[in-house]
Amino acid sequence: MNNKPKISRSVSLYSYQQPYYEGKLDLEGCIREVAKTGATGIELLAEQMIDDFPVITPAFQDQWFGWMEKYGTEPTCYDAFLENRIYDNRTLTLREQIEMMARDINIASQLGFKTLRTLVATPIDVIEGSLEYAAKKDIKICLEVHSPFSFNSTWADGYMRLIQKTGTQHFGFIPDFGIFCRDIPQTMRDQAFRFGASQRGVELVDEAFKERVSNGFVKIEYDLDLGRAHRAYLEANGYSKLMEALKQAGANEADFKYAGKSFTFTWNDPQDLIDNMPCIFHTHAKCYDLTPDYIEPSMPLDEIVAAYKKGGYTGYLSTEYEGHGFLNDAFEVDSIEQVRRHQEALKRAIEK
Amino acid sequence: MFPRQMYNPDSFANVSENGKIVGFSFEMKMQYYRGITLSIIRDIEVEVDGQLFPRSDIRFTVNQETFTLDEMRTVISNRWRFGQYAQVTVLTEGGLCVGKHHIKCTQTIAPSYMPFQLAHPGESDFVIEGETHEQ
Repeated sequence: MNNKPKISRSVSLYSYQQPYYEGKLDLEGCIREVAKTGATGIELLAEQMIDDFPVITPAFQDQWFGWMEKYGTEPTCYDAFLENRIYDNRTLTLREQIEMMARDINIASQLGFKTLRTLVATPIDVIEGSLEYAAKKDIKICLEVHSPFSFNSTWADGYMRLIQKTGTQHFGFIPDFGIFCRDIPQTMRDQAFRFGASQRGVELVDEAFKERVSNGFVKIEYDLDLGRAHRAYLEANGYSKLMEALKQAGANEADFKYAGKSFTFTWNDPQDLIDNMPCIFHTHAKCYDLTPDYIEPSMPLDEIVAAYKKGGYTGYLSTEYEGHGFLNDAFEVDSIEQVRRHQEALKRAIEK
Repeated sequence: MFPRQMYNPDSFANVSENGKIVGFSFEMKMQYYRGITLSIIRDIEVEVDGQLFPRSDIRFTVNQETFTLDEMRTVISNRWRFGQYAQVTVLTEGGLCVGKHHIKCTQTIAPSYMPFQLAHPGESDFVIEGETHEQ
């Protein structure tokens, strides 16, 4: 008998946003495509694919569970957006934000999800104020650890202290594989050239990225002023130095844009996952460009999945294909094939 | 984000009111990956053949409701869905002349979790035919 903990596979329907946008796949079509890959989990951005959001009609609810049965799938993660600046003249009060979180917890529960993704900008006190309702509905609120944010940082520490202080089982984390990028996706580099980037400019950006990977990234800090946190992060990681070098080299606008985008990728050691594993309830297995032989060149998939196995993870790895934006200015995007390849790559890494 | 798929190519037309041409309109999708309340739309800039139209002359219609850009700042119960066409009407006397044109429309939105606003332009050639849409 095999007693090894089982990692399951899911797909975020976010992966199919290009064909959905073009009207080639509807919500049921997306679920059908997930089932074809052999994945059993469905992750959903309700705000992306539920027409009546935030209203869940009984008819929709029936249809949703009908699809789960028909395709042999189950809901995994509900991706929420705490729109706490829905008015442009103020931020929602704490009470209003907790109410918005409750609305999403409720929808997640109505549709059978087990985890709810909340974004990096979610204030700690909003989460603390939502724990009771999350427990009542048995939904785990999970903070997405999305590049350039990372585990084992002052940003993550505050949330970790909340878990320790309350002992809650209804709050944890969702790592996004974008924090494990050892290279900039080639499709993004190719796109920069299409937009007019120069050979020298791209080289300078790539060299600076390599340097960050080998020397280590300075981590972003907790700050509710996200703009300030982001500027400090850029500065600490050599942004100004790179921009100055590009200027000296006579770089063009496309070079500078490529340079800016390069700071959205970070490399963290996958071993970082292990200490945090008891609080990781779901995972965004981000991918950009899978080769026909199931390699994602920008990140070491086997090494990442090995860390999950070592840490005893029993949740879902949920494919989140995000390479469409590097292609759709010039090419047709085959999201269905990219997701299929990524699922195969995950399956192989899990079974290794 | 989706610059090639943004416009409905068949939607460009002059708009008339009581038989008089008062502007032109077109349909576009949002260059973002989820539906949003109109309140987080900060700007919609329309430039045709290099001419930028005043912000106050833009009208935005979605789900059978029409707003000015300033009015949209308080609209939290009308959502522009992901992949849904909304209609933009530009009030300009006489509309556009019949024939070929080029449009650049820039959508600026402010998702709460982003440290900066997103401004996504999309460009396209289009043709104005002789027929007009009566408002």
